[in-house]
Order: sequence, then C-alpha cells, then structure tokens
Amino acid sequence: MNRCRVAITGLGLVSPFGNSLADFFQRLLNGESAVRLLRLDDPPRALAIPFVSCPGFAAETVLGKALAGTMDRFAQLGTAAAFAAWDDAGLGRRPGAENRERWGVTWGTALGGTLAYEKGYRELWQKGRERISPLSVILGMNNAANAHISIQLALGGVSMSYTVACASSSIAIGEAFRRVRSGEAPIMLTGGSDVPQAYGVARAWEALRVLASGDETTSATACRPFSADRSGLVLGEGGAALVLEDWEHATARGARIHGEMLGYGTTCDHAHLVRPEVDGQTRALRATLVDAALNPDDVDYINAHGTATVEGDPVEVDAIRAIFGSGRKKPALSGTKSMHGHLLGAAGAMEAIVTILALREQALPPTAHLDRIDPACAGVDHVTSARCGGSLRTALSNSFAFGGSNAVLAFRTAASG
Amino acid sequence: MDSLSLIREFLQGRLGVEPEKIVPGAFLDELGVDSLMVLELMFEFEDRFGVTLAKDLKTPRTIGEMASLMDRLRSEEQS
Repeated sequence: MNRCRVAITGLGLVSPFGNSLADFFQRLLNGESAVRLLRLDDPPRALAIPFVSCPGFAAETVLGKALAGTMDRFAQLGTAAAFAAWDDAGLGRRPGAENRERWGVTWGTALGGTLAYEKGYRELWQKGRERISPLSVILGMNNAANAHISIQLALGGVSMSYTVACASSSIAIGEAFRRVRSGEAPIMLTGGSDVPQAYGVARAWEALRVLASGDETTSATACRPFSADRSGLVLGEGGAALVLEDWEHATARGARIHGEMLGYGTTCDHAHLVRPEVDGQTRALRATLVDAALNPDDVDYINAHGTATVEGDPVEVDAIRAIFGSGRKKPALSGTKSMHGHLLGAAGAMEAIVTILALREQALPPTAHLDRIDPACAGVDHVTSARCGGSLRTALSNSFAFGGSNAVLAFRTAASG
Repeated sequence: MDSLSLIREFLQGRLGVEPEKIVPGAFLDELGVDSLMVLELMFEFEDRFGVTLAKDLKTPRTIGEMASLMDRLRSEEQS
C-alpha cells in the first residue's frame, strides 16, 4: 500500500499560563503548575476545586466580537488554538491559489457546549423564564468547534468531532493521521477543546470521588501522578491543535516540520466503564508500535495518561511494563497533567503537543510533585525533574478513557526519517 | 427605548457594528447580520417588549424594515 509520510507542521494552544507555546513548554520543563483554586459560587452550594483555567484568554480579541458571540467557550478555545496552529504552519486563513476541497478537520471534545446548555437550564429553571436564546442550539452542539474551524479556514473536506471522554482528541488526531497517511487529505487540522467548569459537570466529577482536593495554597500541587500520596485528578479547560500534513506537500511549500507522526492504535477494554484494564492498554500500545513499525526498544519517551487517580496510574504502569519490560532505562515516563491538569477531550491534543516539543527540543518535562513514587507505580523510568540534551528519537503519548477506550500516538523527530 | 435605538444597541454590543453605519437604509447582510443574528435580535425584541412574533413573519432586509416592523408590533401590542 502506498502511504504518505505524515509531517507535523503546526502546533497551537491556549496556554493556561497565558503566553506563547515556547513559554508553556519552558514552564513545564521547570515543573511549574498551572493549577489554581477555582471557586464556583453557584446556588445551591458554592464549590471550590483545584482547576486549570485560561484566565488570560480574551475570546473577542482573538476571534473578533461577532465570531466569539456565536460560540460557546469550548468552541472559542478550540478555534483560537486552531488559528494558532494554522498560523504556525504558515498557512493563510483564507485560501490562496491552493485547492482546500480535500483539507479537513477532526476534533475531540468530551463535553461540547455543555456550558451553553447549562446557561439555558438556569434561565428556565432557576430564573423561571419560559424561553431561551435561539443561539443556544448552535452554541451547544458538539460539532460547533470543528464546524467553525472549517468555515473560518475554508476547509472543504471532512469536518467532524469525536466524543470519547478523555481520549477524544487523541482519537481525533489518530483519525486525522490515517486520512493524511492514506492520501485522502493532504492537510488535516486536528486537536480538541473542553470546558469542564460547568457547575453540573464539576459537581458530578466531585461526586464520583476522583477529584483531588486542595485550597488556596495546596491546589498547585494537588495533582500528583504516580505519587504514593496521590489523591485524584484535576480538571482543566483548554484547547490544543495540530496541523498534520503530507510530508511531500509540506516540503514542497517549504514548511517548518516539527516532527513526524508515525502511528496510532486504539482499542477498547470491553470490561468496565471506569475501571481500566491492563490488557486493553497493552493491546493499544502494541497496536501503535505495529502501526508505526517500531520495536519497544525504539521508544525513548512516553507521555503518560497519568491522571493521578488511585486506581488508574498503577494499571497504566503495568501495561507499560508488560510491553517495555521492567528494570530497563527506557522509555522515560512522565505525567504532565501534574502541571496542565486534565483537559478531558483536549487532554490528548495538549499532551501530543508536549510530546512533539519534547522530541523537537530534546528535553523531557517531568511529572511534577513526584517526591515519593508509589511502589505500585515503580519499575519504570519516572522523569521527576527535566532532562535535557539526550538523544531522543521516538515517543508515545497515551490516552486511556472512561468507557475503556484507549488511544496511543507515536511520534519521531523530524530529522530521524 | 425606540426600535432603532434597540437595534443599534444590539448590533453594536453583539457584533461590534459602528453606530453610524446603522441607518434605516442599511442592508442587514451588509452589516454582517445573518439569519441567525436576526433570530437572536427578534428574540431580544420579544423579551424586551413582552411581545410574541408570528412564526411566519417576513424576515426584514434592512434596518429600516426591521425598525418599522418592531414599531408596528409594539403599537399593536399597546392598542
């Protein structure tokens, strides 16, 4: 089968630190946490949880007033990230001479426009109003982000969103990868966005007893993947996007290539909705290595799913040990959710970007706050402080979702081909 | 508030349209007001003045048409 090589030519995100992508990555290398205490003073009871917000994000400035006004925050964050990735790829917002009829978008979002619906419910049931804005329909629909992106960038090919809980955007990236590799689309814009701070959503996660607790001073260190004293995950809002491009198309137009995407594997545990299984994750890792034509020995780094739940982390470590063996020096492993939080449907895209930057910059970000490794998570090479100046070639990014859906992405440095 | 002022306030606040462009002769689509925004403006109008617009209402094309439509409905409501 004739396959195209897949170049990564654009990276963009809305940084919770409020600055550039380079600043975002440097802060991760420094082990700096973006987690803060979020207060929701909503009736019937105020809620305060450690959370990652994007307080510096000004939708109207980035998108313009008219466009921002027809979007829920998840679509605003997503479109802003997509614009950043598109600009980074050196592509014009409007088409020039090129034909964009086969260029497309695959997006990931777990929650879609939940905030818009929640606003509608408040109007109806709290404020006693009888009607809600007609824009609620287009604000709330799950495919709003991909639709806006396709319209704004004049992309005439596939435009769709994947809703696969915490693996949404990894699967979106994987499916975009397959379309570029097969030659179906020369360019795909992909990524994800989510806003889990809807009051009803945050309350539900709290009730599930998987959220880390924290106050004004302890929130920054609340998310501690693989740590003996980890106490749960930290939710966050955000958007992250990548441009995947046929390698020859990219080189022909002189694009900067950040790295190469090599493979993608996805499986289902088919066992339990929330309790992960080693077997399903192992099969996803193995499927990705096969798809990427890699041996376990080739893998230098894994960006873990690592949410810091008591149940989840040891299962992931077991799966990694099953494939890569224990007691070996590689691959190195880190869970960067300790700093940027768990962005649900945007998590995979943000971590894919972290993984690609790690390869490009030859620098591994740590799992922050990992002073005492849980014995149940031992036997792998945990990165506890940044490592720079190695010879990294190949890396994986894991996403393991509620529902048992697993997705693993494989990347390589641009120079390795 | 008269109907033209309400339209001005809405288009300025929601779409950032400059107020001097919002004159009776201006076409809605040229101001960037698409069918979705007309619906939202109608919704706000209904809300503000406590009226209900008929479903089969002919969609206005200009600021002037929209303002006179609103004026007519308000006067019918009051009479």
